[in-house]
Amino acid sequence: MRVARCLEVWKMGTINYLESIKLQKKLVSDRKTNKISDTLLSLQHPLTYTLGKRRTDHNMLIPMSQLKKIGAELHYTQRGGDITFHGPHQAILYPIISLREIGLGARNYVEKLELTMIELASLYGVKACAGQKGETGVWVGERKIGAIGVQISNGITSHGLAFNIDPDLNYFKHIVPCGIADKGVTSLRKETVTGNSKQGQLNKILDGRNEREGGILGTRWVIHSQKVRLRS
Amino acid sequence: MASRALWASRAASYLRISVFHRGFSTVLKDLKYSDSHEWVKVDGNSATIGITDHAQDHLGDVVYVELPEVGASVTQGDSFGAVESVKATSDVNSPVSGKVVEVNEELNNSPILVNSSPYEKGWIIKVEVKDTEELNNLMDPEGYTKFCDKEDGNH
Repeated sequence: MRVARCLEVWKMGTINYLESIKLQKKLVSDRKTNKISDTLLSLQHPLTYTLGKRRTDHNMLIPMSQLKKIGAELHYTQRGGDITFHGPHQAILYPIISLREIGLGARNYVEKLELTMIELASLYGVKACAGQKGETGVWVGERKIGAIGVQISNGITSHGLAFNIDPDLNYFKHIVPCGIADKGVTSLRKETVTGNSKQGQLNKILDGRNEREGGILGTRWVIHSQKVRLRS
Repeated sequence: MASRALWASRAASYLRISVFHRGFSTVLKDLKYSDSHEWVKVDGNSATIGITDHAQDHLGDVVYVELPEVGASVTQGDSFGAVESVKATSDVNSPVSGKVVEVNEELNNSPILVNSSPYEKGWIIKVEVKDTEELNNLMDPEGYTKFCDKEDGNH
């Protein structure tokens, strides 16, 4: 019988992208040296576009000047994946966990992130599925509802998933989302009659899921949850 | 399934066959292994480095390999590059310290070689080794096999 692992969940509200990167770097370093337990950041970002390690900026369709006009930021990151958009009412989870301690490789971890979003969608009656080979993410038909981009350093994860609860999908028109030109994007709100735009829904669902068989990411956790605000 | 694998590895060691089979992952004799799943083949003070079959299996299809510059220094246990698979970038660490003398440019065109041929065509860098004593910090094939079993057992 396995002892449940400890997971600290930080409910952070809306935080600036660079602030979240700085925080994740610190948490990854602390997790590596076992100063902290596995941690999960639950948050949203203001209008932000991000690129992955391959720097596929040809998938950004508008110039910097227009980005500034619409009040969005653009950031280059070390995560996997292509270009994506983050904004209000998109639920983001950044797990900072030790994959080695739960015996997962990158592939299994990403599959479990996909399953988490698929289950979340199904709680609202939306039938989502994982992408075909090479199209990691969560789809409703030909429309992407959840994106994944992860960095793994010495077996510790950072970055994570972004699930469209009710963001303004027009912002995706300024990019080729995830580098996939012929498919669309969607949100829980668009796919349901009674879509809910609250981040709180995602947090509630995570709490509930831990109780059920399978837990979160295939593991049972003892969850400590707290609201965290960054000091500027 | 487990007992068949045990029989196979027993038979392999009686026959002195150089390949261990643990489940579906291959571990080669004559290589040394790090606990972050890289292998190193040493010839004098020249070392060839890549990631193991276990590593490539757990990563999924590699779509991009970030290679260091020739001439760069590497340190045992530290990251020298990364691979991307399934929207995840994973650091690759060097099992030895030294200077990069060659990188596998073929991986820029065919990163999938890391999956299809992790010990041969999918090699990543070649290093001029500073201190061969460092190899004592690494695992031999049997030790690495046990290490993988333990790590996978955590799940």
